[in-house]
Amino acid sequence: MKIAIVSTHPPGKGSLTEYGYHFIRFLRTKTENVSEIILLLDELPAGEKYEFGQEPGQVPVSVHVCWKFGAMNNALRIRQTVLETKPDVVLFNIQFASFAGGKVAATLGLLAPWLVRSSGFKTAVLLHNIMETVNLKQAGFGGNPVIETVIRLFGNMVTRFILQANLVAVTIPKYVEILEAKYHANNVLLAPHGSFEETNREMPSAVPAGPPNIMTFGKFGTYKKVEVLVEAFERLLPDHPTAKLVIAGTDNPNVKGYLDGIRDKYARVPNITFTGYVSEEQVPIIFGDSWVVVFPYTSTTGSSGVLHQAGGYGKPVVLPRLGDLEQLVIEEGYEGEFFEPESPESLAEAICRVIDHPERMMEMGSVNFMAATGLPITEVVDWYLIHFEQLLKK
Amino acid sequence: MEINKKTSGSIAILQLKGRFDAHEIAPVTAWLQTQIDTGIFHVIVNLEGVNFIDSTALASLVRGLKHCREKGGDLRLCVLQPAVRVIFELTRLDKAFNILVTEEEAAASFGIS
Repeated sequence: MKIAIVSTHPPGKGSLTEYGYHFIRFLRTKTENVSEIILLLDELPAGEKYEFGQEPGQVPVSVHVCWKFGAMNNALRIRQTVLETKPDVVLFNIQFASFAGGKVAATLGLLAPWLVRSSGFKTAVLLHNIMETVNLKQAGFGGNPVIETVIRLFGNMVTRFILQANLVAVTIPKYVEILEAKYHANNVLLAPHGSFEETNREMPSAVPAGPPNIMTFGKFGTYKKVEVLVEAFERLLPDHPTAKLVIAGTDNPNVKGYLDGIRDKYARVPNITFTGYVSEEQVPIIFGDSWVVVFPYTSTTGSSGVLHQAGGYGKPVVLPRLGDLEQLVIEEGYEGEFFEPESPESLAEAICRVIDHPERMMEMGSVNFMAATGLPITEVVDWYLIHFEQLLKK
Repeated sequence: MEINKKTSGSIAILQLKGRFDAHEIAPVTAWLQTQIDTGIFHVIVNLEGVNFIDSTALASLVRGLKHCREKGGDLRLCVLQPAVRVIFELTRLDKAFNILVTEEEAAASFGIS
């Protein structure tokens, strides 16, 4: 089977690079089912390039850089590349803002699955979020009710186009229900997110040495905002003067300069580290050193890869009381402390409920470790291959 | 979870009862692997007694299905309770597996003795 994957991938800094990286990493091990992987990736900044080695026992990979974040013609370029490379199946690893931050370019990019299917290729979409559960205002796409209504209408239209794919996979049961009920879709399936981590990792045996390390990880500025976290951290400093706050990651591509603004605004608050871009090699260190992983989200746009990562490192988590996250925590067997979104007091209390109680910290970490490592992504890849085989039989 | 193993000619049959989840998959995975290792690629898993199945358990069945099909055989399921069938439908794995109404039908569907 010759599989094309439309995705982001490190060293790219777009959304879903982590998922793309791990999915492709494990897909490359499936030599008994896959003969070639064709990667349809986005353009990188000057001086950067994708690197894929070829070791024995790995499926060969060919890289086709054929789309650019923010460009208007991504769908056409992707379709053209598919026509040239002729895969058996095309998988899109996307969410609603994968192709652009701007409304028009984002919408046009999301027509790609439909265009590819219309060209005669078996097409599957792994859709990490759905429009119905996104708080547009908080996700940075709103502004006024009229614009939000227009975006919702376009979102509905785009969803209908995405549903033209042969298969649409989502990672939360509720998403299946919504897509089936609202759009009468009969090609939607639930596919577990899966754990990114190697299954041979063991649960940490103790809280990391050193002062309390409070960490948040992601691309910040839209619905992942650190103001409340920094203010919560400031509140807990008097009782935890050695505590550290690690803000790991970069600006969301839609909000360039956000973290620089935070650094300036909160220059008075000590013990904060801004790591900037975190490479794959640094990820285990960042998570390994942390005591607790905080999700300072004001809205969610899908299941959180960071939650699965935190679980994979046996970390306790502190989450806002927001629909998707809370549901995912419950449904997938995770355990967390919750806080009221936009309340520094509530967040500070939630963090202290974790870091002041080492036994509780280890207990939560252990539960999350079990949840995250129960189903490694290599097994999830097998699910997709089974579905692709079914598609190809038709 | 209760596990009952039996054979019918060249078909290996596993009957499960109870909750089939991450804590219970080890013996099932081991049994499936044993069948593959000993050259038995026609397998039936009877889920009549299973009232709950989670993604990890589904993954163990998918893995078994994949291995059996790679060897020219198949892993077939039978007697799904409504709660379990819903999970198969939600994941569309009901399209991937051959699911039969009874164990006898599942055995007969292989067309071998």
